[in-house]
Amino acid sequence: MRSLFDRMLVDPFHRLADQSAHVVPILIMVMVTLLVGGFLAFVTRVLTYRLLQLAQFDRLVQRTGFSSMIERTGVFRSPTDMGARFMQALVWLFTMLFALSAADTPASAELVRRFVDYIPNLIAAGLVLLLGVAVSRMISRSALLAAVNAQWPAARLIAGGIRVLVMTLAIVIALEQLHIGSLPLLVAFAIVFAGIVFALAIAFGLGARDMARQWLEAKVRTSVAEEEVFRHL
Amino acid sequence: MDELFPSELKARLSQIGDADIVVGIPSYNNARTIGHVVVIVNSDGGSKDKTQDVVMRAEGGADDLLLVSHPVHNSYRISTPYHGIPGKGSAFRTIFAVAAKLNAKACVVVDSDLRSITPGWVELLAKPVLEQDYDYIAPYYQRHKYDGTITNGIIYPMTRTLYGKSVRQPIGGEFGFSGNLAKRYLEKDVWDTDVARFGIDIWMTVTAIAEGFRVGQAYLGAKIHDAKDPGADLTSMFRQVVGSFFSLMGSYENVWKKVSAYEAIPMFGFPFEVGVEPLTVNTDRMIHAAQQGVADLREIYSSFLSPQVLVELTNFVHRNGQGFHMPDQLWVRMIYEAATAFRYRLLDREHLLQSLVPLYLGRTASFVLEVTESNATQVEERIERLGQVFEAEKPYLTQQWDAIGKEKFHAQPV
Repeated sequence: MRSLFDRMLVDPFHRLADQSAHVVPILIMVMVTLLVGGFLAFVTRVLTYRLLQLAQFDRLVQRTGFSSMIERTGVFRSPTDMGARFMQALVWLFTMLFALSAADTPASAELVRRFVDYIPNLIAAGLVLLLGVAVSRMISRSALLAAVNAQWPAARLIAGGIRVLVMTLAIVIALEQLHIGSLPLLVAFAIVFAGIVFALAIAFGLGARDMARQWLEAKVRTSVAEEEVFRHL
Repeated sequence: MDELFPSELKARLSQIGDADIVVGIPSYNNARTIGHVVVIVNSDGGSKDKTQDVVMRAEGGADDLLLVSHPVHNSYRISTPYHGIPGKGSAFRTIFAVAAKLNAKACVVVDSDLRSITPGWVELLAKPVLEQDYDYIAPYYQRHKYDGTITNGIIYPMTRTLYGKSVRQPIGGEFGFSGNLAKRYLEKDVWDTDVARFGIDIWMTVTAIAEGFRVGQAYLGAKIHDAKDPGADLTSMFRQVVGSFFSLMGSYENVWKKVSAYEAIPMFGFPFEVGVEPLTVNTDRMIHAAQQGVADLREIYSSFLSPQVLVELTNFVHRNGQGFHMPDQLWVRMIYEAATAFRYRLLDREHLLQSLVPLYLGRTASFVLEVTESNATQVEERIERLGQVFEAEKPYLTQQWDAIGKEKFHAQPV
């Protein structure tokens, strides 16, 4: 008959030893994976930084106008820094997935599966956001130039408003792709957008009645204003 | 070429066979003035004001339609719609095609909004082509000092500087050219660009000079026309003309880089003094446009103007009234930097050209304020001085052009 001592101390110790024999190698493998992955991520960041520097990535981005936006966030030192950190994060992400796979538990396997299934949504959302940034920038710049050339006093406000509107739309679509509160967001956006249009219509039709009349008159008038009676060509 | 002709026109051209001279008039809603103009081929943009009816009813029998050197007995009158992008250039394309189809020796084109045209204009524009083997005759006329500000401020001095020929009205609107040149124009694939619109005039002039055709100019007296082109606003007009010019700089880079000095071109006709219609200009509005532009478009300007130019621009633009003076060197450098940015697409080309409009209005206001008390001769001298600055700054253009080209493509300059 086994003694009380065996049952109270030796058996649990054996069970712990058995479990440890199963878990410790996994833990060691996860740790090693993370360490190697971290190192690889760091190396990737350094290499990407050097490569982008060589390709004069900062100057390239500066021309597109994104540079000031990146610097304004205060998170990254420069577009090159952002690119390098993005690559580092990507390597980190894959390392984590690899480590989770290595753990080989039902929970981690399920997590990896769900994440892999989610990747297309992440890519779609990222693309939508990128497209949103580019389109909002293009449209707002066009609006700014048109408004300045028409000598509207609130040109920058109009351009800024358009940019916010297009970006908001892009964010709503991106969030929908990520299945994050899609319906409430869509409804909120529709309400805000409709509200803005309605408010502008009222403001223009009632508040700026004279301006609206003058504008329409100018559109249909055939005679030339006195100050415009010279030809530029 | 035949695809450009509606069936009725095709039949008419077959009936005519060959022709010595074709006179073309692009039009769009010009019923009020087109009756003043001698008509042979009217290429219409779908006018809704019965322009085509007025053309066909225009006074003058067949004998006095053309007064080249003697009355012409076999003359024909055609009014036809054109195909393609709506614009003056598309209308011209149809006229070029008609001239080519009829094997014309000379072709003359005149604007349909002219009120000062006389039959002598056709003679002056066609005769050097017919009798002296010239290929391209540009107009030379007296205009009010405030008139033709894109010509005086950009196109004339730049054409002279870059292509070495002093064509005073490179975008005048009235031109005479040979049948060979008309055929050459038709060979070019530019009819989906701004050349199909207001860019046509500068494109014709630069192509003729850069490709080595014989170029001259004819003194036509005064140019009096409708104050404003129907359906044309400043921004689109400016964009089309300046955009076409910048685009040509890319096409003929190997030509203009070799030009070191300009030469006068032969003048036909006898210069005489004429009265021009007084014009009014609202400089305050222009100054305000420039000030707003510099304030609101700083981000855009900083993407293609050098920091030094940007600082100078900011410094001068806040002055008002008589103190508002844009130095020539600043203006020239801005244009050269914009041309370089256009070539290498440092930003969207449409945006670049649109952003130049406030600067152009600032420059125009500065010029108007400067010449308020000047007579025609003094104004010409002033434009001449601007031309000299364009020439003096040409090395700056070449240096900018090559440096940015090298940086962008890691390529050696052409």
